[in-house]
Amino acid sequence: MDYSKVSGKIFSDAPDVDFSHAREMAPYLEEPKAMYVGAPGKRGYLNLGFELDRQGKSIMRELDRRAPLIVQQELYFDEELPGLPCVYILSSGGPNVDGDRYTQNISLKKDSMAFISTGAATKLASMVYNYSGMIQRINLEEGAYLEYLPEPVIPHSHTRFICDTCLTVHPTATVVYAETYMAGRKYHNNELFKFDILSVCSHGERPDGTPLFREKFIISPPQMPVREVGIMAGYDVFANVIVMTPQDKVAEIYDATTPFIDKENRLAAGITHLPNGAGLLFKVLGMEPGPVKKVVREFVSTVRRAIKGVPLPEEFPWR
Amino acid sequence: MDTGKDSRITRLSHLIQFSDATFPVGTFSFSNGLETAAYEGIVTDARSLEEFSRSAARQAAFSDGVTALAAMRAAKAGDYDGILKADQGLILFKMNDEARLMLRRMGKKLAELAARMTPDPLITKWLEDINAERTPGTYPVAQGLIFTAAGLDEEELFASHQYGVINMVLGAALRLVRVSHYDTQEILYRLAKEIPALYEEAREMNFDDMNAFVPQIDILASLHEKGSMRMFMS
Repeated sequence: MDYSKVSGKIFSDAPDVDFSHAREMAPYLEEPKAMYVGAPGKRGYLNLGFELDRQGKSIMRELDRRAPLIVQQELYFDEELPGLPCVYILSSGGPNVDGDRYTQNISLKKDSMAFISTGAATKLASMVYNYSGMIQRINLEEGAYLEYLPEPVIPHSHTRFICDTCLTVHPTATVVYAETYMAGRKYHNNELFKFDILSVCSHGERPDGTPLFREKFIISPPQMPVREVGIMAGYDVFANVIVMTPQDKVAEIYDATTPFIDKENRLAAGITHLPNGAGLLFKVLGMEPGPVKKVVREFVSTVRRAIKGVPLPEEFPWR
Repeated sequence: MDTGKDSRITRLSHLIQFSDATFPVGTFSFSNGLETAAYEGIVTDARSLEEFSRSAARQAAFSDGVTALAAMRAAKAGDYDGILKADQGLILFKMNDEARLMLRRMGKKLAELAARMTPDPLITKWLEDINAERTPGTYPVAQGLIFTAAGLDEEELFASHQYGVINMVLGAALRLVRVSHYDTQEILYRLAKEIPALYEEAREMNFDDMNAFVPQIDILASLHEKGSMRMFMS
């Protein structure tokens, strides 16, 4: 559907994000009755570029944004890695609402590093007509290092969300790309697995375009038995962490990570190799976001030790 | 095998032969995560076994099943590049070492068998490329090729693929879980009724649509990969 052809409306100058080719979103292409798709403020855009300055310090050289996405400036608050520029992505609109579209481009030039997170959990509001979609392009040149550790995503009843993330990573660079999904607003009318669909695809490639892996998961509670054994029987939170890193680091991180199923605390984690020697995939299941986040951070700490020689700092008490 | 000239009875016999649990492709040595699930007390009875089998079947339908159908369509069109693309696509999508190993080991065995049973040039060429490590040689692609050579259709291919996945788990269950032959046959009979709905979705999917969401099975596979249990290879 080409929303830009609709006359009499003003459209954001941010890039269009169109998932109408995605089969699973076909039932959700109706124009919202409130603000239209593509309206200024409904098509968020971020372009973040990190590189080394003349002193060899990693800085955010490029910052372009469109509402509702906000990034202010990089801060250097990581006590374990004081040279690490840290950026929080914020959204002035609050939750993602019906018909929202987002583009996030993040690039790291040679040998630079960055930490990116969100200011709070990403809420995906209830939707009636359309869906919310996001395209991310993450590009790492040689020797670069990115930790992308956003706060959890919380779908509401009838949320429809689709995300496509392309990770283009040089064989000497390392990216940690983490996502945490809650089953819903657990303490709001027990709103678990009441969303319509979450469709999440992350694919990795080399700078020359050689494809490495393609992971896609679709969680559609109305269509599948999400609570059955094998999927999420007895768990409410799911985290997925992709690590693309050089081969010798893959072995080191894999050996230092122990998969487990802790029945008492209802927490479990597993690690495996991505295809084509691309890196590792770490998955966590739990009941509450806090303990899941802790397991994810411990794993990311292992990665950071292998690459930068230092662990993650203690998480701030207010996070 | 005289494709096209075979009677329906011959084709059905081929279908039964390729789907038989004793067909020598090594099905019996894999449990698809069930060995760990039984050890961890996650699959303990017929009910949890049925859920586990359903999850495994659904996961396979939208990846292996889609790939098998793509391979059959490419083979019918004489599109060898399409066969290689399906093969490569499945490996890009499989996020687990043991799963990739299983697909390649069974795929190569089936390709070797197929090359002996039928003079199909696509299968011969594909087997050469597997041996030369030019293509991964996954099982669903091998299934697509041999089913095409035997004159079988998409529905028969998909039914056999699903039957194979479910029966692999149930076969392992007899050695791992406190269930009887009665239980496993009842589960198989019930799950067979769910295959048509999976086929209706899988037949419309292409490589970009392949998807899987079975985090519990993924974590079990990881524990198996790093653990010391070795009655089964997955």
